[in-house]
Amino acid sequence: MALIVPETDSEWHGYFQAAREGRLVIRRCADCRRLRYPPGAGCPWCASLAWTWATVSGRGTIHSYVIVVQAIQPGFRDWAPYPVVLVELDEQRGEPTPDDGVRLVANLVTPDFQPEPEERVAIGARVEVCFQRIGPDSVLPQFRLTGEPPAARLWQLPG
Amino acid sequence: MQHLRARHCIVGIGETEYSRASGRSTRALGVEAVRLAIMDAGLTPRDIDGMLSYHSNDSTPSVAIAADLGIRLNTYADVIGGGSSTEGLVAYAMGLLEVGLCHAVVIFRAMNGYSEFRIGGTGARAATPVRGLELADRPYGMLSAGQRFAPVFMRHMYEYGTTSAQVAHVKAAHSRHAAANPKALVRTPVTVEEVLASRWVVKPLHLLDCCLETDNATALVVTSADRARDGRHPPVRILAAAGRVNRDRPDYFYQGRFTTVAGVHARELVFPAAGIGPEDVDVTGAYDAFTFTAMLQLEAFGFCEQGAGGQYVSSGAIELGGRRPNNTSGGHLCEGYTHGMSMVIENVRQLRGTVDDYCARAAQGVHTYDYRPGGCRQVRDARIAMNMGWATPATGSALILGSHRV
Repeated sequence: MALIVPETDSEWHGYFQAAREGRLVIRRCADCRRLRYPPGAGCPWCASLAWTWATVSGRGTIHSYVIVVQAIQPGFRDWAPYPVVLVELDEQRGEPTPDDGVRLVANLVTPDFQPEPEERVAIGARVEVCFQRIGPDSVLPQFRLTGEPPAARLWQLPG
Repeated sequence: MQHLRARHCIVGIGETEYSRASGRSTRALGVEAVRLAIMDAGLTPRDIDGMLSYHSNDSTPSVAIAADLGIRLNTYADVIGGGSSTEGLVAYAMGLLEVGLCHAVVIFRAMNGYSEFRIGGTGARAATPVRGLELADRPYGMLSAGQRFAPVFMRHMYEYGTTSAQVAHVKAAHSRHAAANPKALVRTPVTVEEVLASRWVVKPLHLLDCCLETDNATALVVTSADRARDGRHPPVRILAAAGRVNRDRPDYFYQGRFTTVAGVHARELVFPAAGIGPEDVDVTGAYDAFTFTAMLQLEAFGFCEQGAGGQYVSSGAIELGGRRPNNTSGGHLCEGYTHGMSMVIENVRQLRGTVDDYCARAAQGVHTYDYRPGGCRQVRDARIAMNMGWATPATGSALILGSHRV
């Protein structure tokens, strides 16, 4: 899959720089210390403008997912069907309210960065970050299954 | 807001044909719809002094429409927005009337949503630069509304046991409604089984879980209750309007309660203002960008308990002849896609009692109430209607309308 991710938004420079170094970083408020994603300019919890990049474990649980059968973007046509997963990281789960967590969108990929087949995608499955090189200077954080026992009731779309 | 109850009315409605090849500019479409709405109100272009529209860089600005119809404006605004904008702009229009800036406000939406800027994300929309929030999902092949909204439906299935078959009832019901709507683009009734057998677009969504893409323009005229007395039709009273209302955070994926939508906040605004509750509503217009969005809205606004949306939409309640029919025109799933305006227009017709179905004397308010395909779609004695607009799970709006008898 050839993919161009233009880093035209300065809020994201540190995020993609860390990805090139094999690290997943999340913006952390320098005052209340809470993580937030995507990398916004202010803290949604305390409105502070001071922040740092925090390296996180990259481990989490699939919170929800879809399987794209008909790709909209031309670059993904050869890749379909592919899973898009919403991963809830282990860090800051259930904080500051029980419904909150740090969640990222990614693809669920095999060790060689192919889309995982639908049969292996489930809400509740444990995952970890991996880094897919998509161009000479572009690296995209992705997620793969860890094989750990599920963190919650496993669920797949019936049929 | 309760002091504003019934102080303003929708007095005119206008819409073009719903098609996939208008062959015309959004300017020409918008001019036609605005002109029809003004005529429907019994007004002339000279009576209009306010104009509001919404767009996604895919339309024509108010000044162009006004110029073509000889309208001189005291104020206008073309806001960026899709679904849920209509109801929000009705609230803005009420404000313009209250402060005395305008006497009569036109709200319009004009779009070539199939032939020019396809709402599904293909064509011109797929070529826009990737920046801002889109860096969080487009690099992963997540772009269209269906791809972006469906994780909420998946999680709703996980938490509450909701099923694809339950929400397929929304399409089945709306398709039967459209079968009594001569203007609907798709008038063939479909069954739940046919929805489930249609091809996958993005699992959990089948093709028939997704709305149409169409070319069209739609318009409303809003004025004060005092001026509305002189209209061509019985005025439809605005009991409450709110929008666009956010859930906890507008970037809904990343924080907060995942399976609720903005309606949980909007309902706290509009029901007290209108002095009614969900049980008082006779007909609903829950936004059906997808089958499941109508379900999530009806649940969030309290037409059923949290988690019971699947049971509600599959119970028969939302069908013509049921307790509270939804989108009697066929909605976005079957009539055409207008980012919500058409559903408000349909509810205005319902409250006037002059729905344009196949009844011979529909325009005089004489209906058979025979809801078989090709027949009637007027709800008997409809007094209160409610629209529930949807932009995303985290952004919505609401509008409660009453007939002249309320």
